Amino acid sequence: MFKKLIEESTAKSPWLFHINSGSCNGCDIELVAVLTPRYDVERLGFKLAGSPRQADIVVVTGPVTKLSLDRVLRTIDQVPEPRCIVTMGSCPQSGNVFKGSYSVCAPLSKYVHVDVDIAGCAPKPEAIIDGLAKATEILKQKRGQM
Amino acid sequence: MNFANMTDYHHFPIYAIMVLFLGAFIIAASGGKPSKNPNNPAGFRAWIALIATAASLCFLAALIKPVMLDGEVIAYWMGSRGISGGYAIGIALEVDALSLFFALLIATAVFVSAIYSIRYMVHDDCVPQYYVLYCLLAGGVLGLVLSGDIFNMFVMVEILTFAAVALTAFRTKVYGALEAAFKYLVVGCMGSTAILTGVILLYAQYHTLNLAQLASLIPGTMNNATKLAFAFLYIGFSTKAFIVPFHPLAADAHGAAPASISVLISGVLTKSGIYGIMRLTYFLFQTMGLGRMQFMLVFIGSVSMFVCVTMALAQHDFKRLLAYHSISQIGYVLAAVGLASALGVSAGLYHAMNHTLFKGLLFLAAGAVLHETGTTDLGKLGGLSKKMPHTTVLFLIGAFSISGVPPFNGFASKWMIYQASYQKAVDTGNIGFLLVTIIALVTSTLTLASFVKVSQSVFFGQLPKEYENVKEVPFGMRLAMGILAALCVVTGLFPKSVTALLTEPAAKAAANVGNYITSMGFKTSLPAVEVSFVEAGVWEPINWLLILCIALLGVTIVAVAGKYDHVSETTSENVETKYQLFYGGEENVYSQVGGGDLFWGFKHNWRHYFDFMHKLHSGVVNDYALWAVVALALAIVYMMIAL
Amino acid sequence: MTASIFLNGLQYLGYILIFPGFLFCFLCGMLLTGIDRKLVARMQKRVGPPILQPFYDFFKLCGKETIVPAAASRTTFLMAPLVGLAALVVIQLFIPIRGFSAFSGMADIIVILYLLLIPALAAILGAAASGSPYAGVGLSREMVTIIACELPLVLVLLAIARTVGSAMGTGLCFSLSEIARYQVENGSLITKLSMIPAAVAFAMVIPGETGSHPFDTAEAETEICEGMHAEYSGAPLAVFKLSHAVKVLTMTSLFVALFFGGVGTGITAVDGVIVFALCVAATALFISFVHAVTARLKIEQVFKYYWTVVSGLALVSLVLAWYGL
Repeated sequence: MFKKLIEESTAKSPWLFHINSGSCNGCDIELVAVLTPRYDVERLGFKLAGSPRQADIVVVTGPVTKLSLDRVLRTIDQVPEPRCIVTMGSCPQSGNVFKGSYSVCAPLSKYVHVDVDIAGCAPKPEAIIDGLAKATEILKQKRGQM
Repeated sequence: MNFANMTDYHHFPIYAIMVLFLGAFIIAASGGKPSKNPNNPAGFRAWIALIATAASLCFLAALIKPVMLDGEVIAYWMGSRGISGGYAIGIALEVDALSLFFALLIATAVFVSAIYSIRYMVHDDCVPQYYVLYCLLAGGVLGLVLSGDIFNMFVMVEILTFAAVALTAFRTKVYGALEAAFKYLVVGCMGSTAILTGVILLYAQYHTLNLAQLASLIPGTMNNATKLAFAFLYIGFSTKAFIVPFHPLAADAHGAAPASISVLISGVLTKSGIYGIMRLTYFLFQTMGLGRMQFMLVFIGSVSMFVCVTMALAQHDFKRLLAYHSISQIGYVLAAVGLASALGVSAGLYHAMNHTLFKGLLFLAAGAVLHETGTTDLGKLGGLSKKMPHTTVLFLIGAFSISGVPPFNGFASKWMIYQASYQKAVDTGNIGFLLVTIIALVTSTLTLASFVKVSQSVFFGQLPKEYENVKEVPFGMRLAMGILAALCVVTGLFPKSVTALLTEPAAKAAANVGNYITSMGFKTSLPAVEVSFVEAGVWEPINWLLILCIALLGVTIVAVAGKYDHVSETTSENVETKYQLFYGGEENVYSQVGGGDLFWGFKHNWRHYFDFMHKLHSGVVNDYALWAVVALALAIVYMMIAL
Repeated sequence: MTASIFLNGLQYLGYILIFPGFLFCFLCGMLLTGIDRKLVARMQKRVGPPILQPFYDFFKLCGKETIVPAAASRTTFLMAPLVGLAALVVIQLFIPIRGFSAFSGMADIIVILYLLLIPALAAILGAAASGSPYAGVGLSREMVTIIACELPLVLVLLAIARTVGSAMGTGLCFSLSEIARYQVENGSLITKLSMIPAAVAFAMVIPGETGSHPFDTAEAETEICEGMHAEYSGAPLAVFKLSHAVKVLTMTSLFVALFFGGVGTGITAVDGVIVFALCVAATALFISFVHAVTARLKIEQVFKYYWTVVSGLALVSLVLAWYGL
């Protein structure tokens, strides 16, 4: 019974931790936009956590620059299980316009398992919400397997 | 003299003093050659000191039943030379419940500190000499509180000041030790001289030195010379109690002395000062009925309380911080005693006892840190709880006690002090006493704050690289701390028994001056006083603890059953980084948040006050000597007007 | 004989575990924080999370992994939340609901004041034990907030002690159950002129004590990464969240018990509902509303605010009470 309860709760209370890995700030603003009164993801239980220790979903924006790679990976390591890694915007998936630059390490999936990719430059808030909802489903599954 | 006579408990007070002096003599006579045992450089001399202090404690403990419970006052004439022609010509010991109360505190602290010293002093040289001074100091303080003769009180004050100054300077290699000792010497001598002057003034007028006889003669015959004597004696004992304005000395002396001696200076010497002030005001001059006298003690107590706790907040050194807290707690005692109500005196004495216990414990913990790491600088330490878990737990018990966290002993006595002061305010209709309650409550929180600072800066937080090989202190030192911690818990959990057994008899003794005088064989017209203790609030620590334990047990069972510290199989490749601290993604570097300025949010608002205090406490002995002179002048003026 | 002792024991165990102990604290505290979050969202024109959201958060955290950092002192780190929670629940046992209190005559208001320190102290020690510099900054701010709140609380409680005491002819009265009884017989304390500033001051202390906006400097998630809880994850964090919820309940119900103690019918079950309704109102007014309209203060501003404005109000009340108004 408790296992079921915890699984259900996991789906209803995903806390986000946001990492900016050298983004142009466009995605970051869009992520904040989904928290505003217009979209208000808090109605689905989403909340921005201040520390990776409290997070369930890690949202990575930006093309993962060389300097930030180490920090991104370390922070992701510090998130407790079960966790879900979401890349947001085209940058962390392909490098976007920064592709080929000597200082860009994208895609992120080379270094760590990514659960959900939200495409777009920057993604629409609706797309972000959809992606996050998918991430919650994966989170719930992961919890079920624990 | 037959054996039955010798075991009569009327001899016990003098035995208790004698064993300590005898111990000092034997140790001194045995020469200063250190023993070869690296764990006990003093060899058998440490055991002599230990046995002497233990014997002294036993003798005093045997007096609890006749003096505390049966209410007897032991009057003991040395060499059986007593009263002749209406005047006391012999030297007397007079032990009433008040004396015995302080003597018990002193003997306990001395005994525990002696246990601690054995392993603590291993890094020092000249340890045999240390024990000579140690026993002298202990004997001096014990003699002071058991004496029934004001000149002998002065003699004992001299002995203990001498020993304490020498012990403060004992670690000559420590920075500032000699300077601290010098400051202490200068101001301490001014205090001793003030006491001597007071004694002379009294002797010139009343031709007696016996406390009881003076107490029967002085009231009603107060003239300017008596008032002058009172002012001198008061200032003299103030320097021994380190109350404002003599508090800077305490910080220097405590900081420089070995921790086992800091225990004696803070737990024992200050108590002798408080005892002296109580003897003066309650017995000798019987001025506590006067509102102005109450005002003076309560005022100085409250100022000591608040000024010293803020001074403590600004300290960067573990032991100096403790030293200022010492005076802050003595402020509580003085303010409570100055209320001159039965509950107030009882509460004050209770707090005096608790202060000896928890401050002893805290100084020993500081000593343990110093012993292992070689420093007490709050800015350099950190994270020791992983290396010294027992010391940490013992320190936390002491810290909770002094901050008045229920159910430890500091709370029980502070709670009584709040009630006593508020009750006094209600009874007299004087809103000033209400201020004492408020100051006491706020001071208590500030005390908590500065002990949070210490625990964060020393025991928690991050461990600096150079202390990675630190070990737990030896068992002997932990045992000494453990005894005090156990006493802290017990006296906190059974406040009713403690007050009934120890503080209420002492408070009754303070109210029954007539009994003190007649027991010595002098006449007085003072009637016997019935004392009743009324508390307005309720506090049942045992029941509370029981409920808390049930609740905690329940939570813990649920937590453990629910895999509270559940750890998953990690999916990340690098397990190492997972258990690092979160540094915003950066690699871990040593960054300890702690040290003297931890509570900047508080200090910022009080910056002008702190700046002022910083300027005031110049650390120059000339200034402090000047303070002493000014304090004496003020005391004289106040006594002339007020009495 | 043994049967009655057994029954008594069972009754007290029931008090501790069910009402007004753990179960009650858990349900009502969580509900209060849920209502608080919903209200704040509505005030900001958002839909807001469901009222049951704190329960979801709690159970989710229970199912997460607990990471104890290598630099932390393990025992202290794990035990601190549990001690804090237990201590808070015990305080709740002493707070009377109109005439009824589970354990009367065991602690007075000064004791309550000190007992309130224990959960905060547990959180501080847990944070200190984690070794994180963010937690270090957080605990420093938390301690300063405690100092800041202490003075007005002391003044308010002394004013109440004086008011009730002089009305009952004993001069002063610290006992919580006596204060409750007095209010049942003579009407709530809020109806007295001298108690109105005290009530306002106490209401201002509630957000500070519970660590909500604008006084949440200790847990500022945007600047110091949740401060004291920076290294907490999983079940210990869940217990901290629960403690916070219980603290909201404790502070509001203490407010109700001290100033609205006369409201009620005399039937414990009905009174419980009424008191809870008043708690909700207090939460809405003093926590949610304040949260929605203010931004976070700096720590020295928090201190200054409490020691000037709030303490001033409380002092006015104390002086009025002293002269019997």
